[in-house]
Amino acid sequence: MNAVWWYTQRITGAALLLLLIAHFWVEHFVSENLLRGDLTYAAIRARIATPAWQAIDIAFLLIALLHGLSGLRSILLDFSRIGRNGARIFTAALIVVGAVWAYWGIEAFRNLR
Amino acid sequence: MNDLLRKYRWQFSGMVAHLIQRITGLLLLVYLFLHVRTVHALAEGPAAFDHAVSTFSNPFFKLLEIALLGAVILHALNGVRITLLDLGLAHNRQRQLFWAWSIGVGAVIFLAGAIPMFLFAVLK
Repeated sequence: MNAVWWYTQRITGAALLLLLIAHFWVEHFVSENLLRGDLTYAAIRARIATPAWQAIDIAFLLIALLHGLSGLRSILLDFSRIGRNGARIFTAALIVVGAVWAYWGIEAFRNLR
Repeated sequence: MNDLLRKYRWQFSGMVAHLIQRITGLLLLVYLFLHVRTVHALAEGPAAFDHAVSTFSNPFFKLLEIALLGAVILHALNGVRITLLDLGLAHNRQRQLFWAWSIGVGAVIFLAGAIPMFLFAVLK
């Protein structure tokens, strides 16, 4: 089971590197406004009103949460002696946190048409 | 004695890299929380979103953005290094890889971003 976590961390890490470079590019370099750092609603809406970009952004968030929270899990399991049951409870708690966090992020798109 | 020193150095650099990865990882997770919190203002409309973003236009937050760039670069390059080592590639070069890649290449990319950010955003 730990091997699955280990592989997941490497694969999501590689995916995040590519997604982050793309994210950085589209949010800061593609237009004059964005180059000046004017991250206004109008500038951003033009991109994220399209379903394809929403899908990419949502995938980005989910992969980042998977990577970040499983990293947090590794840190806590390394530093604390919480035992097998403690680890299970902690993992379950992180899954709940991840689900709420993901919903919170996706919900940001609810009023875009 | 020489072997012992070499082994110690190997562990030293690996341990530093490991620690950097975890500290920057935690910081990036905190940033992701703040980022989603800001982006969430999109749901409340243009005025709310532009207000939320305007918080970050002062020089203090611009400095934090430069620090964020540094954390991202360190975490990403060091993550690539760890993945290469895990795949059994370059494991006898892990120390050189840390200094030349994670720190050396990282510093070049960081300065390429940080200098313009400092000149055009912090000092603006």
